[in-house]
Amino acid sequence: MSDQPRRVDLADADDHTLVERAGHGDVRAFEVLVRRYGPLMRSYARRVLGRSDDVDDVVQETFVAAWKQLPSIEDPSKVKSWLMRIVSRRCVDRVRARRDHDDIADHDSEGPEHETPHRVVEARSREHALTLALEAMPAPQRRAWILKEMVGQSYDEIADDLGLPVSTVRGLLSRARKNMISEMEGWR
Amino acid sequence: MTTDLPDDLEAAGVSGDDVETLSLEPDRLDGHTIDELADYLDAGMTPADPTIDDSPACQNALDALTRVRMLSHGALEADALDEDAREDDWITEIITNISLEAHAGRDIPLPPLKETENSVITEGAVRSIVRRAGDTVDGVLIGRCTLEGDVTTPGAPVVVRVWARIVRDHGATAEAVTDAVCSAVEEALRTHTEMNVEGIDVTIRTDGAAPVPEEER
Repeated sequence: MSDQPRRVDLADADDHTLVERAGHGDVRAFEVLVRRYGPLMRSYARRVLGRSDDVDDVVQETFVAAWKQLPSIEDPSKVKSWLMRIVSRRCVDRVRARRDHDDIADHDSEGPEHETPHRVVEARSREHALTLALEAMPAPQRRAWILKEMVGQSYDEIADDLGLPVSTVRGLLSRARKNMISEMEGWR
Repeated sequence: MTTDLPDDLEAAGVSGDDVETLSLEPDRLDGHTIDELADYLDAGMTPADPTIDDSPACQNALDALTRVRMLSHGALEADALDEDAREDDWITEIITNISLEAHAGRDIPLPPLKETENSVITEGAVRSIVRRAGDTVDGVLIGRCTLEGDVTTPGAPVVVRVWARIVRDHGATAEAVTDAVCSAVEEALRTHTEMNVEGIDVTIRTDGAAPVPEEER
């Protein structure tokens, strides 16, 4: 060994190592995970909750909950999807708390909840078009689509997270799929 | 409305502008629903279904579905790049909250400084000592660390197990790294604790180590 050891920066560590250390109480390793996945989790929460102060709160709560549960994580290398599941559940809780009526349920026949007419055809880019198309969807469809196609959850996991029967999730995704394809047709 | 588009849409010179709306109803998809097509994609298009594979309308719908999926899939990651770097306050708040929930583990006795005193060090603190010692070895990061044995009884034999990863490969053999980690940990524990360390078992993982050029070693 040399006199001056060339230490590895924790920021360069792989997820597996960071999760093992954090699970054993290494706060610095946990901080690296917060910096690494915080932005993705905030993006997710923002897609689900819209622009609100709730976004930061939900992601903070998620990390505090994750810290407590870290020692029991089954596969440390899958910490990213594990965190995404926790944040997604927390977002659903937040939506439920925010509204008394059952916004999660399949009441999506009334059409978009926002007031701005969606103008997907005027989008600046395909990415912008996707955002507009998502915003144009009824909230339950949008949440199902985000969980399935952005987070990569299975039908069962989505049903579990949203507290809906799998058959309802299938129905929501079916309509979301048709809406999404139709809206995005001009953006191939 | 355009249906039954040719397989080789682009070769046929048909641009997206010519396709007003893609029909997604079963009567336009050779009897399949868009959901069946989505399930088919989820299943990796196996086993092959010729009624889908040989249907230009289905292929067209599958293409459209794949496009929106790919776009969705990358959207969150793309959003994340645009997220403002969070002020340290936000992260500090999280760290402050979790520090109240430290994973302290068992209390390990230390020799009392005064006769009336009962000194202990927590298992969490010992792990931290082990990590810090192991991390001083070139290119290595310590992952898990366990203390096996009755650490709460002074003098009871303890086996320390350490999992280390070579993150940057400085050219040392796994054996040399193991020895280096072992002696660093041993020395640190001797200095900071009174544990009767009977053995230190080091497991080295080398997968994914980034090689360090010789001139930088």
